[in-house]
Amino acid sequence: MSSAQQRLTQVASHFTPGGKKGVAAITEKHPDDIVVTCALRSALTKGGKGGFKDTAAADILAGVFKGVIEKSGIDPNVVEDVAVGSVLAPGGGATEFRAAALVAGFPETTAVKSLNRQCSSGLQAIVDIANAIKSGMIEVGIGAGVESMSSQYGPGAVTEFSDLLENHQESANCKVPMGVLSENMAKDRGISRAVQDAFAASSYQKAVKAQKAGLFNEEIYPLQVKWTDPKSGEEKTITVKADDGIRDGITAESLGKIRPAFAKDGSIHAGNASQISDGAAAVLLMKRSTAERLGQKIIGKYVAASVVGVKPLLMGIGPWKAIPVALEKAGITKDDVDIYEINEAFASQCVWCVNELGLPQEKINPKGGAIAFGHPLGCTGSRQISTLLTELKRTDKKIGVTSMCVGTGMGMAAVWVRE
Amino acid sequence: MLHFRTEGYNGCAVKYSPFFDNRLAVAGSANFGLVGNGRMYILELTPNGIVPVKWFTTQDSLYDLAWSEIHENQVLTASGDGSIKLFDCNLNDFPVQNWKEHNREVFSVHWNLVAKDRFCSSSWDGTVRVWTPDRPHSLVTLPTHSCTYSASFSPHSPDILSCVTSDSYVRLFDLRTPASASNHLTLQIPIHAAPVSPIPGKPGVPPAACPPSEALTHDWNKYRPSILATAGVDRTIRTFDIRAPQQGPQTVMVGHDYAIRKISWSPHLSNVLLSGSYDMTCRAWNDQSPPGVVGDVDSMRAGPSPTMGVEMGRMSRHTEFVTGVDWCMFGSEGWCASVGWDESLYVWDVRAVMG
Repeated sequence: MSSAQQRLTQVASHFTPGGKKGVAAITEKHPDDIVVTCALRSALTKGGKGGFKDTAAADILAGVFKGVIEKSGIDPNVVEDVAVGSVLAPGGGATEFRAAALVAGFPETTAVKSLNRQCSSGLQAIVDIANAIKSGMIEVGIGAGVESMSSQYGPGAVTEFSDLLENHQESANCKVPMGVLSENMAKDRGISRAVQDAFAASSYQKAVKAQKAGLFNEEIYPLQVKWTDPKSGEEKTITVKADDGIRDGITAESLGKIRPAFAKDGSIHAGNASQISDGAAAVLLMKRSTAERLGQKIIGKYVAASVVGVKPLLMGIGPWKAIPVALEKAGITKDDVDIYEINEAFASQCVWCVNELGLPQEKINPKGGAIAFGHPLGCTGSRQISTLLTELKRTDKKIGVTSMCVGTGMGMAAVWVRE
Repeated sequence: MLHFRTEGYNGCAVKYSPFFDNRLAVAGSANFGLVGNGRMYILELTPNGIVPVKWFTTQDSLYDLAWSEIHENQVLTASGDGSIKLFDCNLNDFPVQNWKEHNREVFSVHWNLVAKDRFCSSSWDGTVRVWTPDRPHSLVTLPTHSCTYSASFSPHSPDILSCVTSDSYVRLFDLRTPASASNHLTLQIPIHAAPVSPIPGKPGVPPAACPPSEALTHDWNKYRPSILATAGVDRTIRTFDIRAPQQGPQTVMVGHDYAIRKISWSPHLSNVLLSGSYDMTCRAWNDQSPPGVVGDVDSMRAGPSPTMGVEMGRMSRHTEFVTGVDWCMFGSEGWCASVGWDESLYVWDVRAVMG
C-alpha cells in the first residue's frame, strides 16, 4: 500500500464505529486479546498397533500437560482451569483427566473439566477456556483434547436409543454410523471415488513430505511409554515422537484398488477416510496483558469461533456451514485466510466442503490431515492449532482457520492469527 | 466571526500563541493530508481581520502544531514523514531544528507547560517520544504498540504525560518512575470497559454496550489535576478521574454524529470543553461538575457515575470535517478558533452560539 492509501484507510477507519474491519482489525494487538503461548501435541499413532496402543488416554494427556509446562515455562500455579475434550471415555473421562493434571504437576488449585462435542471436542475445550478468560472468570487456562481409540473405540460408545428417540426420524438419524451416512452423502452429492482418492493421496503425500522435512518436530512433544511387542509379547519402553500412520508411496491409483468398506458399490474405504488413532494435544491460553506480565512468548491469537447445526445425515457438510459464520464474526473474507485446517473425517465430505466454499486446494491442510496421520476424535480440534500455528510461522503467514464436521450433524470453526 | 481561507491547504490543527493575544498558528495539508505538501501559517488578528504574517511550506503533510512555551516566536510542527520541525517566525523558509525518529506519521506534538524545556510527540508508529529543543535526539521513547493519535503533558505536573491510542486505552506515564520493563507506564485506563464495582465481591455493572473503538483526542482539565477527557471514533466524549481509573467515565457527552477529532478544555472554566468533529460542527459542552472548582474533587462524594454532560451550543459554519479547535486564553472567556478540511479558519465567540 502506498503511504497515501494507508492514510486514506486510516481516516476511513474513523467512520466505522466498531473500529477497524478486516485483517487490519484482527491483527491489531490489544491488551485484552486472548492469546496462545503454547500449542503442543503428542504424536498421533495407529489405533491397536501404534506407539500408544498400550497407553491410557489420561497418560498421553499427562505427558502433553508436562510438555506444556516445560515448553512454555508457565508456573503451574497460575493455571486456573483446564478443559479436556474427549469423545469415547466412559463418564467423559472427568475423573482420570483431573488425575492426569495432578500427575503432570498442576497443583490441586487447578480445576479440570471434561467435555464432549464429538469430533470438535478439542476445539470446544479451547473455545470454552477462551470465553472463560474473556468473561473474567479465569486468567490462565488450558484447552486440550485426548482420545485413546485403541482402548475405548467400539460399539459401547453409544447407549441404546429409547423408543421416544427411535420413533422420531431426525433424532433416530443421529445414530446412523458415520461411514454409512457419508457413503450416502457422497452418492447424493455426486462426489466420485476418483476425486476422493486423489484428495486422500495428496493428504498422504503432503504428510510424508512434511514429516521428512521435519515440519512436525516443533509441534510434537515426544513421550516415553511402555509398549508390548505383538510378536514376542515382550514389554519395552519406547519414545513416541512421530506420527506412525503416515505412509509413503500412496497414490490415487494405489488407493483405487482398495475395496469399499460400507457398500459394495460404495466409494469410501480405509484409504480415503480418517485413521483410527491415539493422541492428545493442548493449548495454553491467557490475555495478552497476562502473557506480557508473566513473560510468556505469544505465538498466536484466538479471534472468533462458530458452532452450527446441520441435518444429522449430512453431518459432513458442517465445515461448509461453520466456516463462513466464523469468518463473518472475525470480519474477514475467505480470501484473507492463508491456511485452512479442515479435518479430513472422510475425503468425500472434506472435498465437498472445500469445493462448495470455493477454497484453493493449496490453502487446505498443507501438511496433510486425518487421512494421513489420524483422527483421535477428541484430540483433533486441539491438534489442529499446533499444526496450524507452526505452519503459519514457517511460511511467514498470518491468518488461519480450523474447522471440522461433527457427528450427529454439527460443524465448528475458529479463526486464528499467528504472531 | 472572523474568517481566513488557507487556500490549497486543508486545515489540520490550530493553536493560539501563549505570548500574544492576537497571534495564532494553523497547520494545514494539501489534498486532505493524504499526499502532498504541508503548510504552517502564522496569523494575526488585526482591525482588518485575520492577516497572514508568515508561512512555512513543508515537503509532507502537517497534522499538528504546538507553540514553544519558552520562545515567543517558535512553533513545532508534526509531519507526515515522521519528522518534527521547529520554526522561528523571525526567519524564513526553513526550520531551526528538525527531529526525525518516528517511523510513521507524527500526529500530535505538545509542549510541557510546567517544565518548559520539554515537549512530547505521538505517532502512528506506536510510540510517544519526549524531547528537549536543544538536543538532536529524543530523551525517552514510550512504546504503546498502537497507533497513537494524541499525547499530552499534564498541565499540573512536569513529569506526567498521557496519550490515547487506537486500541481504546488512555495510558499514563510518570517519568519519575525508574526506567524498567514497563517504560514508565503507570496507568492504563480502558476507555470502553465496564466500570469495576466499587464494592468488592459484588458483581460489577454489565459490560459496556459499546465495543472498543479508536480514541483520537484527549485533553487535561486545566483546573482539576486528576481529570482528563477523551473522544474519538465512537462520537462520545468521556471524562475520567485518574485516581479512580477502574470506575469508568465520570461524565459522558453524546451528540456528535461522526468521529470527534479534537477536544479542548476551557482555560477559564473548569467544567466547559470544546469539540470539533467530522460532522462539521464544533460544540461546547458542560460536564455538569460544580463550576469554579479548583483542585481535586472528592469523587466518593459524587453521585453514581457516569453523569450525562450537556451540550451548550454549536457552531455549524464549517462545510467540511472540523479537525482543530483551540481556546484563546487572553481577554474574556469564550473566544476560540477552529479549522477544518474546508480550508477555513474561523475565530469566534462560544457565547454567541450558546442558546
